[in-house]
Amino acid sequence: MNFDSRRIVIITFITTIGVIYGFRLFYMQVIDDTWTLEAQRIAEKRHQITPPRGVIFDRNGKMVVSNETYYNLMMQESEITNLDTAAFAKLIGWTPKEVRARFIEIREGEGTYYNKNQDRTTSNYQSVRAYPFLKELTLDEIANIAPHLDKFPGFREEPTSMRKYPYKSGANILGYIAEVNKEDIVDTAYHNYYRSGDNMGRAGIERYYEQTLRGQKGVKYIVTSALNNALESFAGGKYDTTALQSPAMKLGLDIELQAYGEKLMQNKKGCIVAVEPSTGEVLSMISAPSYDPNLLVGKRNIKQNYPALLLDEGRPLFPRPLASEYPPGSIFKLVQSLIALQEGVIDVNTGFPCNKSLVGCHNHGYPSDIMKAVQFSCNPYYYQAVRKIIQQGKKKTAFADAEVGLNIWAEYMYSFGLGQKLPSDITGQRPGRIPDSKYYDKWYGHHQWAFSTIRSVSIGQGEVTMTPLQMANLAAIIANKGWFYTPHFVKSVGNSGTLPEFRKKNYTMVDAKYYPPIIEGMRRVVNESGGTAIMARNSEIITCGKTGTVQNPHGQDHSVFIAFAPLNNPKIAIAVFIENAGFGGTWSAPTASLMIEKYLNRAVKDLAKEKRIMDAHLSGL
Amino acid sequence: MRKKNDITQDIDWPLLVCYLVLVTMGLTTVYSTAFNSEHSSLFDMAMPYGKQVMWIGVSLFLGLLVFLIDSSIYRKFALPIYGVTLALLVIVLFMPAINGAHAWLGFGGFGIQPAEFAKIGTALLLSSYLSTVSMHLQTMKTVLISNTIILVPVVLIMLQPDAGTVVVFTSFLFVLYREGLSYDPLILKITNAFPGIRFKQTWLGTHFIPIMFYVVFLCIVTLLISKTTFGLFIPGLHIPGLVGVIIAIAALGGIVYWLLSRMSSKREKKRAFIVVIIGFLLSTFMSLSVSFLFNGLAPHQKSRIELVLGMVEDKDGEDYNRFRAMAAVGSGGFAGKGYKGASLSSVRANHVPESETDFIFSPFAEEWGFIGSVILIAVYLFMLFRILLIAERQRNRYYRIYAYSVGMILFYHFAINIGMNIGFVPVIGIPLPFFSYGGSSMMSFSILLFVLLKLDSQRRDMLY
Repeated sequence: MNFDSRRIVIITFITTIGVIYGFRLFYMQVIDDTWTLEAQRIAEKRHQITPPRGVIFDRNGKMVVSNETYYNLMMQESEITNLDTAAFAKLIGWTPKEVRARFIEIREGEGTYYNKNQDRTTSNYQSVRAYPFLKELTLDEIANIAPHLDKFPGFREEPTSMRKYPYKSGANILGYIAEVNKEDIVDTAYHNYYRSGDNMGRAGIERYYEQTLRGQKGVKYIVTSALNNALESFAGGKYDTTALQSPAMKLGLDIELQAYGEKLMQNKKGCIVAVEPSTGEVLSMISAPSYDPNLLVGKRNIKQNYPALLLDEGRPLFPRPLASEYPPGSIFKLVQSLIALQEGVIDVNTGFPCNKSLVGCHNHGYPSDIMKAVQFSCNPYYYQAVRKIIQQGKKKTAFADAEVGLNIWAEYMYSFGLGQKLPSDITGQRPGRIPDSKYYDKWYGHHQWAFSTIRSVSIGQGEVTMTPLQMANLAAIIANKGWFYTPHFVKSVGNSGTLPEFRKKNYTMVDAKYYPPIIEGMRRVVNESGGTAIMARNSEIITCGKTGTVQNPHGQDHSVFIAFAPLNNPKIAIAVFIENAGFGGTWSAPTASLMIEKYLNRAVKDLAKEKRIMDAHLSGL
Repeated sequence: MRKKNDITQDIDWPLLVCYLVLVTMGLTTVYSTAFNSEHSSLFDMAMPYGKQVMWIGVSLFLGLLVFLIDSSIYRKFALPIYGVTLALLVIVLFMPAINGAHAWLGFGGFGIQPAEFAKIGTALLLSSYLSTVSMHLQTMKTVLISNTIILVPVVLIMLQPDAGTVVVFTSFLFVLYREGLSYDPLILKITNAFPGIRFKQTWLGTHFIPIMFYVVFLCIVTLLISKTTFGLFIPGLHIPGLVGVIIAIAALGGIVYWLLSRMSSKREKKRAFIVVIIGFLLSTFMSLSVSFLFNGLAPHQKSRIELVLGMVEDKDGEDYNRFRAMAAVGSGGFAGKGYKGASLSSVRANHVPESETDFIFSPFAEEWGFIGSVILIAVYLFMLFRILLIAERQRNRYYRIYAYSVGMILFYHFAINIGMNIGFVPVIGIPLPFFSYGGSSMMSFSILLFVLLKLDSQRRDMLY
């Protein structure tokens, strides 16, 4: 028997194996990229380098937000040898039990994954990775620990950067940062930017300018060994990027004015908003009661202080200047005057009798012109003037007429930035309310209402509301005689100059020529006897202002005052709103005058006035 | 005119060049894989590459010795050589275990693995024995003696234990098959013991290699689908996979019978029917027992089989080694990551364990990509074909059988080692010939090959 043909079997077998292996390699190496991705998963690590956040200066170059180095005490289990738990606990001032609990906490904090095939759950925790055992230690705290760490292999210090607020003021403007949560990490709006442990702005400037202030993360790709040692940079560092800190940010804020305002507003509820009329930059924005922004620095502080701030009945976390919608009271008469003049339903010399049967008023002289009407803040005058705006006699019935008139009136109001959120660079604004015909139709029905129904809006009560920011903006508009830049906080980032969105002038629908009589009225309010705000008078500075006393069905009336100064070339426009403080001229007007003096002269002379305001307890409860 | 003393004249240069190419490729790969910048010299004896250089030197020296010794010695002293290797296998069992196996025989700082050398002894003795009994290959005595020659070292190696080398010894079955040995004497003894059965021969004994393929194929199919169910698109119907296998075997039997009956006479038809029935019964029996035995396996053995068959995936656990090696190979891409660029499988990265020995293909494939891998496979295939060509050109059976033994041993190592790196074969720790780092394998494969070259160079002398 000849078996030579059997060599064919063997050769075929060898050839087949060779060919199959060739195809398999072609598939694995050229076609299928599963293995390349797996190799990346296994060996390539992407290290993110987070730059320190951008620092923030005020308008005078004072640093208002800086970074401070803190320290994390890192722990890497694989390097720990013979840990003397008792000695270590003593070093960090804990009990051994707490130390052991912390180890468990770190391990469990990493979560687990379920391996379906092996039917077992494995922890994500890796003993070869370093985890923060203690976080955010101050230099003093780490200085007590670090010298002894050589006795505890596996523990080391690592610097980390956190916020610092040297002035302890402006918390409601600056906001705070906090560690991202699981939702932020997966939120598609953030494009996977955040990793566990990253911080993000949670309120104020920190939140609005998050994308600027966070800078640009650097990425370093490294090849690691199975023991997680870094071997080399991947591809010679070709794909690495450097971490870039945001350029310094400059605010329009005057931090000293802010701090002063917060001091004036202590033991009161309310707001002060000061704006530079020529630029729209917010000089200060006080929300009282306030809090020290350093209370919300770092995880430990936030955990400890945030709940208390949140539950405080003074609601310090609530951004009053942006979100409190108050009826404006008498300051609203300023806008009413301007609209009436522009609409031609009155002229400068129109007088109305102070007919108290129409609406209540106080005793004052005859408002024979618009200046006197502003000066005396005469309620019946505005009742009659606004009736002329609303009921212009363009339609047959009073109802249809009021509908047309109110909508014209509302358009004017919108042009003053009222009834809407100003496109400012801060979050948390409320729009306030300027009622139009649709609004009243909803309440009373179509053509079921006329001026007499809605008369209280004529004196800034009733349905109309404004935020203090809008009030300050109103003062700025009058100071500018008819235009405003959107009030904003950031002056420049690096050398950007004013941000493009704040370079556009917004004009009101009232011509500049109608402003001077109103301004004259406001001058008299402060500077002439019979004015309602003589307590805001200052011998060196001519301030123009308007008081308001907002009727409050729930308690004491609110005290409101808006002003700008000086009369010629106004440098500051201000709104002060103090809740439950009563008459506008008594509390808000002197407060505003102190702010104006402080800003213009950098110091206040009338210390008695200052003391009176600072010492006052006006929470009204 | 040929000069009798010129040993260079009849050397098969292509094979020798293949050998040198593989040794060089292997050494450069060991150098790049184990590279340590503090010991960058190729001859640094503290590093694997330094040692490998030494082993290559020793191997070449042994090769020279092999050439200087008269070739008839190997045949004359086949039994003593076999005896010495067996003795080493016995001695090694009394050595302390390293990694759970008594595989290493220490000489000072260095150790050798007798199991590697046992292949040489077995190949020599088997060739020597089978060439003397050329006319009696189908006798009971031949079957028993030739299989005993193989089985004795296998049993000793199993005791170490070293499963990889045991598997490699089955390569001798191919040699027996090629020479026409039949297991019929053994099988007929069993079948003819049944009353009424009078077989003169069985396919089982004669065509044992193709049948082995069929058996392996059937086992894999059984394991793959025995745990599944299928419903033939009828909702609610769940036919166990095992039933499906049996139906498939029956269908296959039907086709075979139909083909056979068309080609044969009436009397042979009856025989074909019996063959098919027996085949069906044996296949079914085997399928059932494989399924049954599999469920009786120890969990770690079971999971290893399941991993290779792709029935489960556990890339960071049980299948760590193989999966890491596959990731390294696959990530090499078309042109590779460049020399010393193995980011996964270098010893420094350590993601692929044993990357300088059993898994050396993975750093090579990672650094040289598809191009390099295919060239390596081509070199091996060329070498294997060259050995088979050398085998078939021998006029002397002794030479041919030895050449086949060398070829099949190398083929086994090649197929299993690379197959393991590309996910076709379970993790069986055997080296890639001439390539992997390691003294014993380098020396034993070199001797194996140089003996072949020596014998081949004297093929004409046999006429004298």
